Amino acid sequence: MSTRPLISVVDDDESVRESLPDLLNEFGFDAQAFSSAEEFLASDSLSQTSCLLLDVAMPGMTGPDLQRELTVRRQKIPIVFITAHHDEAVRPHLLAQGAVECLFKPFTETDLLDALNTALRI
Amino acid sequence: MMDFSDHHGHPDEMSRPKEAIIPEHDSVVDALPGLVWTALPDGQVDFVNHQWREYTGLSGDAWQMAIQPEDLPRLLECVRSSISSGNPCEAEVRMRRFDGEFRWFAVRANPIADASGTVVKCCGLNWDIEDRKRGEELLDLAQKAARAMAFDWYIQRQINTWSPEQEALYGLPPGTFDGTYESWKNLVHPDDWPGVVTSLKHAQETGNISAEYRVVWPDGSVHWLAANGLMFFDDQGRPFRMVGFTADVTRRKQIEEELRRARSELAHVARVMSLGALTASIAHEVNQPLSGIITNASTCMRMLEADPPNVEGARETVRRTIRDGHRASDVITRLRALFSKKNTATDVVELNQATREVIALTLSELQSNRVILKTELAGDLPLVSGDRIQLQQVILNLLRNASDAMSSVDDRPRQLLIRTEPDADDGVRLSVQDTGMGFELENMNKLFEAFYTTKKDGMGIGLSVSRSIIANHRGRLWASMNDGPGATFSFSIPCHETARTDPKRAARNG
Repeated sequence: MSTRPLISVVDDDESVRESLPDLLNEFGFDAQAFSSAEEFLASDSLSQTSCLLLDVAMPGMTGPDLQRELTVRRQKIPIVFITAHHDEAVRPHLLAQGAVECLFKPFTETDLLDALNTALRI
Repeated sequence: MMDFSDHHGHPDEMSRPKEAIIPEHDSVVDALPGLVWTALPDGQVDFVNHQWREYTGLSGDAWQMAIQPEDLPRLLECVRSSISSGNPCEAEVRMRRFDGEFRWFAVRANPIADASGTVVKCCGLNWDIEDRKRGEELLDLAQKAARAMAFDWYIQRQINTWSPEQEALYGLPPGTFDGTYESWKNLVHPDDWPGVVTSLKHAQETGNISAEYRVVWPDGSVHWLAANGLMFFDDQGRPFRMVGFTADVTRRKQIEEELRRARSELAHVARVMSLGALTASIAHEVNQPLSGIITNASTCMRMLEADPPNVEGARETVRRTIRDGHRASDVITRLRALFSKKNTATDVVELNQATREVIALTLSELQSNRVILKTELAGDLPLVSGDRIQLQQVILNLLRNASDAMSSVDDRPRQLLIRTEPDADDGVRLSVQDTGMGFELENMNKLFEAFYTTKKDGMGIGLSVSRSIIANHRGRLWASMNDGPGATFSFSIPCHETARTDPKRAARNG
């Protein structure tokens, strides 16, 4: 129905899953939230997702695990990592693996919008 | 009359004492506990007693063979000077026993004058001082080995009886200590003098001297001395003599100081390490709701600025903002509960609650290690008494260890089970079971040693600290291997006194 890009949010934190889609809608995107990587992989959204907002640390499959899995499946979805672990050492590693950006929670809407615009230009 | 005639009726008997002088004299000389001899000015020995012959196995003619060759000139000189000067003379020489063994003897030679007063010979007495010599050697050896020196100090008479070695301990040249209390005080480091005075007061009560203090040498260097000994008192009960040993313990003190510093550094490292890990957990816990708050507020702003404003949507985001605000506040409350308790070991602790708080703060860390946490906390767990923070540190440590032990596990779920339950003997038990790599049976005891670690980046102090904390709570901490993969670490501590006498519990148990 819509031509708006679909942004998928994968995060085990409920606050994020509830708040981010509304903001993404305000930005003008479609949004869907998933509580785990496994749930996202099993969903129909996989093929329609234009950009993935992905938590790093999750029980079971982690964000980087999902990143690898998508590479294996040749699913080229731009990934913006979001993490509450403010660890500068993690960032370059994730970017080297092909992530567009890695945002530390809490991030501003400007940072988020910039990251999404970069991701969607790819 | 009878008596008289009896007495005088036997002329033989009358003459007997006169004749017996020589044999009796000989027998007395032979009975002396020493070797007796007489010598002429030319060094020729003209008499030796029985003891002498028996000891040496020689006759007097061959006397020089009985003296250790090195000591012979000394002895000859002694004899000569005694005869020429007419004064007694003393020497110490080694004498060969009949079986070839040399023993130390003290020799005292006295000149013997003839009727005209001319010294014609000298008479010597040698007595065995081997045991005393051995004792001296032993003392010397002991003093050297202990780097200690004997002192014998007559305090009131202020007589310097310090040996040169004793003076050397104070950095003084030989013979320069004047033996006064004041001089001694000046040698002791001013900061340590009050302690010395306390030790001396104690010695006046007990008679035992025991003090450790620094002395400042004339060259300004500082040395640690330890003095141990006895104090003797005069009739008025005043101390008049101190006998004992002084030892240089500078090296020992340096080692003790290094050890103390290492310990406090170790404690600091352990604290910083757990604090660092804890800070990361706290930051994570707080950042999550903060992130929600900011996102919701941003959304809210946009909804209100829209035309027309989306008031219902905005209201929902505000509701979520408030909820996330509370969530952040809860983290802080938990944190305060974890840290605000004072440092006593007498709190009444609800172990389940303490465990939940630790779990709440480590959950994200466990999750990032892909650990699946299960809890089985007993519903009717008795209270325990102890230091809540310390117990939580132990739980934190066990959880983190379990998580680390599973970091390389990929062929099975990384499952962590934390369980609390009443233990036998009125105790409470907490166990942490993992499905990690476990440990080698022979390393079971090493696990609890400081600096033993199986982790690449571990310091190996967590478990040893944990065990000492549990020991301080009169409990025990142990490890066991699971039937399946992994290990279980458990501790058991006695429950709180009132919990034990709780009638409800008693009834349940009955």
